[in-house]
Amino acid sequence: MDPLIGMGVLALVGAVAAIAGYTEDLESVVGSQSNPNSQVQLAPQMKYPHRLFNKAISGEPLSNGLAAVVGAVISVSLEFYADLSIITVIVIGSMAAMIIHMILAATSFFGRIASQSRFKQPLYMDVFKTNLPVIAAYAFMTTACILIICYLMAAYLDIQIPIPLLALILGITVGSIGSSVGDIQYGAECLYQNLEFGSGVNAAYSGNIVRKAASGIRSGIDNSWFSSKFGGPTTGIAFAAVLFMTSWITVLFNPAWGGAVGWCGLIAGVLFIAATAAANRYLEKSARRNFGPYRKDEKTEGAE
Amino acid sequence: MELLNLSVLSGPAILFPENPFYQLLLLILITLGGVLITVSVHLIPVGGAPAAMAQATGVGTGTTQLAAGAGLTGLLVAVSVYVLSGSGLICVLLGGIGSTIMISIVMLISNIGYIYGVGVPPASGKASRDPITKDRQDTYVSKGTEGHGIPTAAFISGAAGGIIGGIGGSLIFVVLLKASGLSGDDAAAILPISVILSIALFFVNAVIASYNIGGTIEGFYDPKFRKVSKAAAVSAVITLICGILCLYTMIQFGGFGLMAG
Repeated sequence: MDPLIGMGVLALVGAVAAIAGYTEDLESVVGSQSNPNSQVQLAPQMKYPHRLFNKAISGEPLSNGLAAVVGAVISVSLEFYADLSIITVIVIGSMAAMIIHMILAATSFFGRIASQSRFKQPLYMDVFKTNLPVIAAYAFMTTACILIICYLMAAYLDIQIPIPLLALILGITVGSIGSSVGDIQYGAECLYQNLEFGSGVNAAYSGNIVRKAASGIRSGIDNSWFSSKFGGPTTGIAFAAVLFMTSWITVLFNPAWGGAVGWCGLIAGVLFIAATAAANRYLEKSARRNFGPYRKDEKTEGAE
Repeated sequence: MELLNLSVLSGPAILFPENPFYQLLLLILITLGGVLITVSVHLIPVGGAPAAMAQATGVGTGTTQLAAGAGLTGLLVAVSVYVLSGSGLICVLLGGIGSTIMISIVMLISNIGYIYGVGVPPASGKASRDPITKDRQDTYVSKGTEGHGIPTAAFISGAAGGIIGGIGGSLIFVVLLKASGLSGDDAAAILPISVILSIALFFVNAVIASYNIGGTIEGFYDPKFRKVSKAAAVSAVITLICGILCLYTMIQFGGFGLMAG
């Protein structure tokens, strides 16, 4: 394949991946699904009842992997047997995945909140009715973007993996990135805006989450507004960068052109990793220089 | 240099399927891949749920989830390289590079999140000085936490873990595909089964390591890393058993090239 077309497809894949990462993170924030869910779960036990949507279907990678596989299986089956256009089958597949995700979110919400009745946590039906459509919309967007990436990769990048399996791999990857990159701002900043900025959450404050919004009582939708300004975009950038940088090696240095080209790809990959390590070191130094230590140097050093 | 390439006409006799020890060699390579995955999960800095609240050093997600994300990205690269070039060695190495790229990007952008989103400098709670840069760590740990962010030593450790785990996962994939003894379109038809089996072996080994770590680890300088030998032994036993089943499946599907021929 012409490397120029390959680069064009990769750019498109990167753009779609950015949207997928963005919506994936916001979906988990509205439902407080990922690691910070422990705080939302803990809050009523510490006598802080809240109006957040509380679902933890599973870890983000697996729940996104499931949604992507359901969507991909239905899309591919429809494409084979009903002879529909790819756009139509992607929409129908994503809708099926969205419905399954909604069922899981609803049962998870009722189960989790009902189990906390002994801590006087009320079950708000209006929270359920207003937050579930937002979760459904984000789940639809994420699945549709993953399916678009799968179809693009299968059609242009010569990946011999069947689309449902590719969707599983990409779904697990986007969940893994959303869980590790996007949730930091949600867990450490959004849920604890009542604490001073510029510090990790002291373990003594666990469960003392913010329950008031700019106007009224805070719900998952307010949290997604907060996270859409930083956590969501960083997740999108991370997922797009992962897909672009890993495919870029094989598109620009196509190993089919000979063994030596493959080795060039290897060297390019190592150089990129070294560049990220250097950028990380620069960030670390600049953060330490600008923020300064939390306490004076008088403490004796502990054992190494 | 071609790893286990059945078409090479010279080389040690064990590299040929006719040799009675060929399947044993394949089994040993699968076990090696499993052990590499277990060791790699110990090297990747993960803070689990506390890291998502900036309460622990490392990437803010579970061990299995991060390792699976990185390993599957590497597997994706390995599969596409194998389909394009057919060379086992370059496929395994580029699989490792793919995993490392994923984990490096995640660690770098996580640090951007910690520094600009939460306002904390990267600091380790387990070592008072960074083993690589010798920077002071304990004074940069905020009150009531066990460190936050990914300092340089943890970053290097994570990159090393990515490359080892990616190589392990890709090695299992290549060996399983070779075990079928098929090539060309037949190999393309059986490729998804070897991908599924290598994903399964990846998860098995990631969970073994996850139990051994117990939530959080910062990398090679963490005291928990000393327990790696136990996990490697357990992983070797379990991957051996799973490897026999996987090889049986692939040989049944592929006919081992002997019966088919």
